[in-house]
Amino acid sequence: MISNQGLTMASFEIQMTVNGREVRQPVSPHLRLLDFLREELHWTGSKEGCGAGECGSCSVFVDGVLMKSCLMPVAKAQHTEIETIEGLEEQGKLSVLQQAFQKMGASQCGYCIPGMMMAATAALKTNPHADREEIKERLGGNICRCTGYQKIFDATELARDVMNDKLPTKTLEEETEQESYIGSSSFRLDTSGKVTGALKYAGDMVMPQMLHMQVLRSPFPHAEILEIDTSDAEAMSGVEAVVTCIDVPGIDGFGVFKDDQPVLARDKVRYVGEAVAAVAAEDLITAKDALKRIKVQYKQLPVLTKPEEAIKTGAAIVHDDVPDNIVMHIPIRKGNVEKAMIESDYVIEESYYTQPVEHAYLEPEAGLAYLDSDGTLVIQSPSQNITHHRHKLAKILDMPVNKVRMIMSAVGGGFGGKEDMHYQGILALAVLKCRRPVRYVFTREESIIASAKRHPFSINYQLGLNRDGLIQASRIHMLSDAGAYNCSTEGVMRKAAILGAGPYAIENLMVDAIGVYTNNTPNGAMRTFGAMQSQFATECHLDLCAETLKMDPVELRRINFLRQGDETHTRQKLESVSMLEVFDSALDISQWESGISNSRGATRSDLGLSGNRPPCTLGARQFQHETVSAGQSA
Amino acid sequence: MNAPLRKYSRHKRGRGVAAAWYGIARTATIDRAGAWAELDDGGTAKIITGVTEIGEGILTVLAQIAADELGIRPQDVTIGDNDTARSPEAAHAGATRQTYMIGNAVALACREARKRLVKELAHEWEIAEDDINCSNRMVSTVDKSRCITMSEAVDICKNKGVVPVGSGSFTANHTGLDPEDGSGSPWQAYVYGAQVAEVEVDTETGEVQVLGVWASHDVGRAVNPQGVEGQIEGGVVMAVGQTLMEDYKQADGYPSTMNLAKYILPTSLDVPQVTSAIVEDPDPLSPLGVKGIGEPSMIPTAPAIINAIYDAVGVRIHSLPATPEKVLAALRDKQKSADSEEMQAQSF
Repeated sequence: MISNQGLTMASFEIQMTVNGREVRQPVSPHLRLLDFLREELHWTGSKEGCGAGECGSCSVFVDGVLMKSCLMPVAKAQHTEIETIEGLEEQGKLSVLQQAFQKMGASQCGYCIPGMMMAATAALKTNPHADREEIKERLGGNICRCTGYQKIFDATELARDVMNDKLPTKTLEEETEQESYIGSSSFRLDTSGKVTGALKYAGDMVMPQMLHMQVLRSPFPHAEILEIDTSDAEAMSGVEAVVTCIDVPGIDGFGVFKDDQPVLARDKVRYVGEAVAAVAAEDLITAKDALKRIKVQYKQLPVLTKPEEAIKTGAAIVHDDVPDNIVMHIPIRKGNVEKAMIESDYVIEESYYTQPVEHAYLEPEAGLAYLDSDGTLVIQSPSQNITHHRHKLAKILDMPVNKVRMIMSAVGGGFGGKEDMHYQGILALAVLKCRRPVRYVFTREESIIASAKRHPFSINYQLGLNRDGLIQASRIHMLSDAGAYNCSTEGVMRKAAILGAGPYAIENLMVDAIGVYTNNTPNGAMRTFGAMQSQFATECHLDLCAETLKMDPVELRRINFLRQGDETHTRQKLESVSMLEVFDSALDISQWESGISNSRGATRSDLGLSGNRPPCTLGARQFQHETVSAGQSA
Repeated sequence: MNAPLRKYSRHKRGRGVAAAWYGIARTATIDRAGAWAELDDGGTAKIITGVTEIGEGILTVLAQIAADELGIRPQDVTIGDNDTARSPEAAHAGATRQTYMIGNAVALACREARKRLVKELAHEWEIAEDDINCSNRMVSTVDKSRCITMSEAVDICKNKGVVPVGSGSFTANHTGLDPEDGSGSPWQAYVYGAQVAEVEVDTETGEVQVLGVWASHDVGRAVNPQGVEGQIEGGVVMAVGQTLMEDYKQADGYPSTMNLAKYILPTSLDVPQVTSAIVEDPDPLSPLGVKGIGEPSMIPTAPAIINAIYDAVGVRIHSLPATPEKVLAALRDKQKSADSEEMQAQSF
């Protein structure tokens, strides 16, 4: 996002039609079409997700052709007709495709939907009879992180059939007036705002007198900060304030479980991308220029990147108050593992590894902060935890908790990644210093390097079993990289430990989940909170054990499942356990064929049944078209 | 849809299965959520709560719950949410907690608001409170001898000087873990899931395509089945990404996958067909019986795929993601060891 304001660059007059309206005004040639639409014309329906043509959230029609507006200089759009998501409604009524998205529940967070809607509209315009596979190809340039795409395909197919009169229009309507609404697929209350682009996300919001913030980030994984000189930046015309850790009035530090992360780096930086200083300026370009004039002197320190190195004696220390670098160690102990392993017919051991993962919500972080007339500090941002953030900010700012007001703006995907208070504190400091509204919108690159990831896990797994397949003992050792700050590491270790051994009745158990500081990007909350990493190991390991025991992997699970009245690994008695029912249901809907070996793909007869999609083949449609045209010419 | 098998080709098919479990709401600590409700003019309702919708559809779920509790429709419910200065605490969007925690808080708040309304009507009609029904936007006596609209009922209540409001606070009594042996009751409600995955492995390139996933999940009670399916499909696809392609890379602390050209996400062409089955085992310890689905939907997917790869081509991938390079290397190793076994056999 680049603003037109504050520019000395020669402007030229642009003429175009946007959603049927004539536009004629001076514009800076460096703007992208997306910037012009959003920042100058305030058509904010088109979203910026990556700024590099990868995600498709900014898709618009230029003279009827689907284009990614983040890749198009505005000058290229001279004398064109532009249509955005806001132009799709027909006489104030949702288009058939928009109605179909509503009917099928095809939008979740909604951030990709404007672009997806444009791409789907283009798909059916290009080929009104496109089949599901062709629809998939035509949506291939648009990423959705929430829906798994399936309901988007369903909706596009539904719209196609209604448009072709194969289904009546009333198929698009909601089934209303029901006896009970619990159990009914009521329309989402927020769909119309999402399929029309009317819903405002934080990055779409503007306020009078609003300043733009930019953040200087650490270029080093681990370094001492010797000096920060902000004087040149502060002297720049258009710069309202530069903030660093010295501007924190209260007790600095935030985190989900431990407040170990300063709002802006204090004394040292611990990962590449850590926020060091921030500028609030009249326009974005001035703010970016000012960052270059902040002089930071660093002294680089030894870098820790591997958890197994970090726990060795004599390793570098990431946080002085944690000399062994161990963020959290959650143990679970039950029965006598040593004895049970010795007595087991089989002890099977293997190691597993899972990687760090980016949340990749389509909406990069953004926030707009300001002071209410009574002096209350207000922060609108896609925060997944406004309650917690309010408490943290009140402490950091030394303000009464009711004078800090957190409003969650529409969230364009979270998945745990927006639980951390990575930037709300910086916005608060800037607002308190300038007494003016301040907005900060991350680029995709900033979002990726500054925000927490899914914890990578190294897991050593030992399972003791008897010949009949009954699990006798389980020993699971999990070592995980917390990265530079705690974030949610404590909770992730706890959940990994409690659930890791899986939904099985096990008498003898020894589980350790250990999270360790390094100088990698912090790892934090992400959908499943450690449970998918640990159970990934368990479920792979059970198949390995089944093979060794020459058992059906289905049977091996079945005989070991937790049942009603059983105790969990933490010795909690379970009142109701649906595991067996759920498992049988999955086998039933997939028409699973039982069998002893679990490497029998070549011989099994339950492959290729309903519920599969056709495999992708390189150039499939291209060859198909060539065949058709060759046939026609013959 | 039937996908024709490509027999005797370089493409090998296989299937895998995996199970999973998950705990609902905050772990090993007491969890709480609050909500306010008001039966409003025109037979509508306001629900005020600090819920944070992040795309999963919780606002719709809460409107459905309120509609059922009050005898109106979801579209009659206005939700005031996500503002710490204007709504009661409902805490965070995470831990698969919102339907369970806030859903129950909203139900309790609605019950109180409804009780306040019904009390005034019972007085007006000179009957017992239990003899009054609220459903389909109508308020009636059980024997239907009296029947007025919800809008009229609210008017009557207000004319008697009473605003039909209520509040609800729901608690999940979780206990912390013992620091030595980890014993404790971290959750009240647990959910279970199982998934089958079918893959096709290209033995020449190592590429894995996930063609189908069959996912069965216990959600307690499905408030909005389409929304539950949406969570399952989205969770499965997020897990497909982690299993096959996603990898946030750093070298010596310097990230190298800083944009979406380098950090590869699943697109519409990478995703399997997902068939969902919803199992309803209501939670016995809470008013609504609902549990949750947001996170558990993605737990069984990765191991089901990895087990399916083994089923197809006989190589076990122990580290994620199972990229084509990794699968191909494993296939070559397998071939090498098969060759050397053959050589050894021949040398005897």
